[in-house]
Amino acid sequence: MTYVQFCHFLYASVYFILSLTKRMGAAKTLVVFTVFNTDAGYSHIPGGFDSHMLPPKKKEFCPMKYNILLKQHIGVPCKAVAAAGNPVLPGTLIATPSGLGAPIHSSVKGTVCEITDTSIIIDGEASDAFLPLKETDAYQLLGDAGIVGMGGAGFPTAVKCSVDLKGGYVLVNAAECEPLLEHNMKQIREQTAKTIAGLKLVMQLCHAGQGVFAIKAKHHDEIATLNKYLKKEEHISIHLLPDLYPMGEERAVVREVLGTLLAPTELPSAADAIVMNVETLLRIAEAVYEKRPCISKHVSVAGKLKGGTHTRVFMDVPLGTTAGSLIERAGGIDGDYGEIIMGGPFTGHAVTLDTPVTKTTGGIIVTAPLEDLNGAKLGLLLCACGGNETRMKDLAAKMNGEVVCIQKCKQAMDIKGTLKCENPGNCPGQAQKCLNFKKEGCTDILIGNCSDCTNTVMGSAPKLGLNVHHQTDHIFDTVGLERMRYLKQSKMVSEEPSTYHIEQTVNNGILTIDIKEGKDIHIDLPL
Amino acid sequence: MSISEATAKEHANDPAVLCCRAEEGTVLTSHNLEDPAIFDDLVDSGLLNLDGCLKIGQVIGAALKKTCDSLTPLTVDTIDQIQETQDNSNDSIPSSAASDSANLTAPIKNGTLKISIGQGTDIHIELPLGSISSDAEPETKLLRCLTRNHYKITEVKRGPKTMIDGTTLTIREGIEADAIASQELVHDLKIDIITPDMYHTYSETILDVQPIATKEGHDLVGTGTTRVLDGVVMMVTGTDDNGVQIGEFGSSEGYLDENIMWGRPGAPDQGEIFIKTQVTIKAGTNMERPGPLAAHAATDIITEEIRQALKKVADDALIVDTQTFEQYRRPGKKKVVVVKEIMGQGAMHDNLLLPLEPVGILGAKPNVDLGNVPVMVSPLEVLDGCIHALTCIGPASKEMSRHYFREPLVLETLFDPELDLCGVLLVGSPQINAEKFYVSRRVGMTCEAMEVDGAFVTTEGFGNNHIDFASHIEQIGMRDIAVVGLSFCAKQGALVVGNKYMTHMVDNNKSEGGIENEVLANNTLCHEDAIRAIAMLKAQMSGSSVKPAERKWNPDIKKNNIELISNVTGKPIVPVENETSLPMSQKRKEKYS
Repeated sequence: MTYVQFCHFLYASVYFILSLTKRMGAAKTLVVFTVFNTDAGYSHIPGGFDSHMLPPKKKEFCPMKYNILLKQHIGVPCKAVAAAGNPVLPGTLIATPSGLGAPIHSSVKGTVCEITDTSIIIDGEASDAFLPLKETDAYQLLGDAGIVGMGGAGFPTAVKCSVDLKGGYVLVNAAECEPLLEHNMKQIREQTAKTIAGLKLVMQLCHAGQGVFAIKAKHHDEIATLNKYLKKEEHISIHLLPDLYPMGEERAVVREVLGTLLAPTELPSAADAIVMNVETLLRIAEAVYEKRPCISKHVSVAGKLKGGTHTRVFMDVPLGTTAGSLIERAGGIDGDYGEIIMGGPFTGHAVTLDTPVTKTTGGIIVTAPLEDLNGAKLGLLLCACGGNETRMKDLAAKMNGEVVCIQKCKQAMDIKGTLKCENPGNCPGQAQKCLNFKKEGCTDILIGNCSDCTNTVMGSAPKLGLNVHHQTDHIFDTVGLERMRYLKQSKMVSEEPSTYHIEQTVNNGILTIDIKEGKDIHIDLPL
Repeated sequence: MSISEATAKEHANDPAVLCCRAEEGTVLTSHNLEDPAIFDDLVDSGLLNLDGCLKIGQVIGAALKKTCDSLTPLTVDTIDQIQETQDNSNDSIPSSAASDSANLTAPIKNGTLKISIGQGTDIHIELPLGSISSDAEPETKLLRCLTRNHYKITEVKRGPKTMIDGTTLTIREGIEADAIASQELVHDLKIDIITPDMYHTYSETILDVQPIATKEGHDLVGTGTTRVLDGVVMMVTGTDDNGVQIGEFGSSEGYLDENIMWGRPGAPDQGEIFIKTQVTIKAGTNMERPGPLAAHAATDIITEEIRQALKKVADDALIVDTQTFEQYRRPGKKKVVVVKEIMGQGAMHDNLLLPLEPVGILGAKPNVDLGNVPVMVSPLEVLDGCIHALTCIGPASKEMSRHYFREPLVLETLFDPELDLCGVLLVGSPQINAEKFYVSRRVGMTCEAMEVDGAFVTTEGFGNNHIDFASHIEQIGMRDIAVVGLSFCAKQGALVVGNKYMTHMVDNNKSEGGIENEVLANNTLCHEDAIRAIAMLKAQMSGSSVKPAERKWNPDIKKNNIELISNVTGKPIVPVENETSLPMSQKRKEKYS
């Protein structure tokens, strides 16, 4: 039996066992776990539970200081429960929530050397082994593991999973929408079974009837992999997304998959759905099946690096690792640079080399120096898709532009201090804004808009004599991507054919057809 | 930006332009369409060409034949099928059905109206109740009268005593010293008597042109009898100690015959004698409130002495003309109000309201001190000089005291038997925006309380005051009251603000180039503006429409309107002359040609 054949055999077993466990209840999950270890990228833990404390096979992380922030998520910062001098292992509880939040565990093996107002600093080294969680109930494990939404929102996952979807949807946000980020796709390729197991757990916990992977159609390999795993999963399907920014916005995912446009103030539960980031699902599977706390993060590193600007993905980076050390592992900064951006090109913000990785860190991008506008009169077009006002002003200052006019996209609604787009990715028109910039005497404008709005801005601004700058320009320039300007591809993607469940009955010679929902329905009846 | 369904309906007949990229096969909704409100700007900027563009009503519901980018005007080539607009669908009823629907009988028998309709759609019947039976006209009611007795003056000279003897006015020698002594800020005052042969005399900027008039007995301004001198006006001019023009910010200094637009309501008429004071005020006070006021007050020492002399004239044979103004309430007619925005920014911009004598100073309150809030006056008070104007900047568009004495819109409306002019609302134009909206909200509330059917809003000057001018119109319009605005706009005074109620506008411009050319009273409200405004307001009140003006200033619109009105009334209207009828001044040659 070759390795591949063996894997296929195992996949078959997984499905068999999964279906069994479904019937028998959660008690049998342990059996499933051992099989999951075959997932590539997870094979470095040999054997079962008792081997957690074994030293890792290869040492990627050297002894250093890890800065674990007390604020890893939305809500209030956690309170440290560890004290300086305490020895810690990966998985040692070091901080607990003091309100809405999630507990924080040490990500490394070592000693707590300092506790500040904002962080716990540990002198230690990475270790793949960890201290397992004690709880047995799946829902409790989500909470104890300290899992939060890892796509960037950082909402405590246990709280999100407390909803009863009554047969609704768990939508998997696999859009990986921000350019240059690749860790989600790598996870789907290499940790497929575990990701799907995480999804099924959430579906169980929330009483969902359907799980849907929302993924960009361009990711052929990942879609093929998912399809292979999902063949026998009646209740999990794939929805293809166009390659546009932003598709990963929570409400955009709901709109694209379910056809329901939520108001900026509404949660997906208004459409009987929750949206989960792919990595969050992975951490859920780890917490429930391996009792592993949430102590690491997949991170993409790209930009002006020695060895090329392409993206390097680092799986399971211990929380608290500094941006600088990850950049060093990626090859180090190549000469002069402009900014270190944490997050994606659109929603990321400038940080320093000693900023640590948190549970919501997705990318670290080193950019080339920024364009110098020589004091040009600059207009800022604020919207929900790009940086906030602080970020845009920060960029304007770095680009040496004089901000003379600030306009806000018509669709950007201020919800508790954060801009949210009424209909993400669908432009409401920008000609008026461009006219306003012109009237205010701007020569240049800085925008952070989505693909569609940027295209609209380009429809009028250049003809009005306004030089358009996009907040992603210096990033795209660095990595050799075409600057975000005109929209060239379609916003529509043809979905893979799926089957509809249609009920039809004939009673007393009358044919009744009930279709709950559907699109482009053709019925041919030979009479 | 994309528009709502309601906006799309409102603009069904406006051009349909994509606001954003839309893909082939998209079924168009209002959200795909750009707001027609910005088309003019887009066309001006060269971003848009609307040739061959379909209307909004024709494209909503149609599918795009190809993917189009933002700001693409939708044409027959870009959509699959032109959608029928509602108007067209009515037209498309087959003729036979149309004749059926016309089969409507409504005989009135025994006091009962019977309507029977065979077949039809969208039937709309409005019956005014109560007015059917009574056809008696409500009676008009005379509120008050004002009589003006005119005394002719043919000669003005200096002498030992201020007196009127026949048609000769004598001004006391040495009166200048009294005038100077009356005001701390006045350092010098000179009187020039300008007769027609001296019109080509250099003068400092003209601060005001005032009628010389006085009340008989204890009559109040706006009622009773007023004595007024014909053939002579007071003219206030001046500089500060350093020779800087009072209100130097566009001023009318220069040769009188080159800088006065003769015959305007606020200007002198050809042939009149000017008693011109040239006041020198304390250096630096020329742009502050007390400075110009002192110049006016010093001049009024002289006017007042003439008023006293005029009161003493006993010979009724000297009255060359008597005019009577009657103010009626006309119940049953459209009730209208004239809202006059007057300057109230402080500094040189002020107006003294309701003095004891026509265009006097004593007894008057500065409208700046009144907080610029609306003050209701009767049309007869306006015509009797209840406003002593202290305006300076922009001589071509500012209303002199004499303007109110001969205010064309008040006169036209007062005498129009189809209109019930209930009053003239004077509202100051404050400096600060918050105060502008404060007073305009009072204007709106006052109009609401008066339950008027229509309102005129006039203003003088341009620019800053247009903010409250626009707000007055909005406050009135939002109460479903018909409203017409009158202002100098043209090119230089183009409105900087606007709102959806500013649809009926009259431009007071007379200048050739559409500019403030510093020729006294050139661009002020004249008879030809008043009749256009009245025609517009009547049209609006009766529910008929007035076509929107072109985006760019086009003087032909005014000409056409005047022609239309004279065709209807049968009264030819000869537009007044403008600065081109005057000898060209050096300043105008340098600055404005």
